[in-house]
Amino acid sequence: MFALMGCFCLKKPIRKPGYEEPIILASETPFTVNEVEALYVLFKKLSSSVIDDGFIHKEEFQLALFEDSNKQNLFADRVFDLFDVKHNGVIEFGEFVRSLSVFHPNAPEADKIAFAFRLYDLRHTGYIERDELKEMVLALLSEIDLTVTDDVVESIVDKTIMEADSKGDGMIDQEEWREFVARKPSLIKNMTLPYLKWVLIFVLAISICLVHNFHARSFYGLNS
Amino acid sequence: MPSNLNAFDIISFSPGFDLSGLFEENDRKKEVRFTSRQPASTIISKLRDIAKRLKLKIDKKDGGLLKMEGLKEGRKGVLSIDAEIFEVTPNFHLVEVKKSSGDTLEFQKIMKQDMRPALKDIVWTWQGEQQQQEQQDLQPSHVPQLQVVSPPQDS
Repeated sequence: MFALMGCFCLKKPIRKPGYEEPIILASETPFTVNEVEALYVLFKKLSSSVIDDGFIHKEEFQLALFEDSNKQNLFADRVFDLFDVKHNGVIEFGEFVRSLSVFHPNAPEADKIAFAFRLYDLRHTGYIERDELKEMVLALLSEIDLTVTDDVVESIVDKTIMEADSKGDGMIDQEEWREFVARKPSLIKNMTLPYLKWVLIFVLAISICLVHNFHARSFYGLNS
Repeated sequence: MPSNLNAFDIISFSPGFDLSGLFEENDRKKEVRFTSRQPASTIISKLRDIAKRLKLKIDKKDGGLLKMEGLKEGRKGVLSIDAEIFEVTPNFHLVEVKKSSGDTLEFQKIMKQDMRPALKDIVWTWQGEQQQQEQQDLQPSHVPQLQVVSPPQDS
């Protein structure tokens, strides 16, 4: 822990646009200052994997999720789009922490419900429409490489719309979505990442290994 | 009985939605899925038979979940496998078989050598494969197909 603190104090890094101070981010999210600093370590790793410029590009996001920077995926696109709050094509550090914070186990459920709705509202119309739902189901089946006949897909989509569409207009609006989630909480299970409760330990473990390695190399005169 | 899958449940299977990939290396081959046109009870009893033959301890949980556990310790502890059955329609089920603990390589070996051959007569499609065989109860050609399927083959 002290070694890690030492590392942070040693030099003044040049901060990229979109960087926000950990103390501010911690005050506005369920993360502690130490956890935000740990997320910065992770952010630096992710944002330098393809283009080393201090921002997470779509290729770097794809590389992290799929181990393939060129993998096209509808859902990853949606997540990336929502993380990229300023819509400048990259995820900045502040955006990264604030968006991830919605996935924290302690984040307000209302935030998770709203985020999920925006994820599924592919064309940002304020409604989840039948054709959007069908498009997502087809994309998923193709993605996991599962063959299903069209009549089955249609019946899945019909059944889901019927369950959610209490106003009977063939689409799901935000209110219907909230009520649907209230009846079936598992609908937002992807919106919680238990990892985020342990991000400090997780990233710290990596950092300690790196620092340890550095000191060991110094001892043997390997750092010139 | 098996949990009912709606469109959003299915969509949530996407690794694009699984941000744990930002934190860890994803070894995706820890789970295998297949579809079946058999009723849930047939699928469950088939899985039980296989588990018995492989000398796995079986524990049936609510909601179509079957937990199977090896009796001896492998390379990374006891191998535990979860089989979960989801109802898409009453005649169409999605089954997910995944490793819940133990050695992934051991899991993959059991899947390939033991489970897959034994499950053959209830599987309609395996994840990653075209339809292998026509089941007797499959409806005739008025059903439009999503993907091009090969003609029925002899098993």
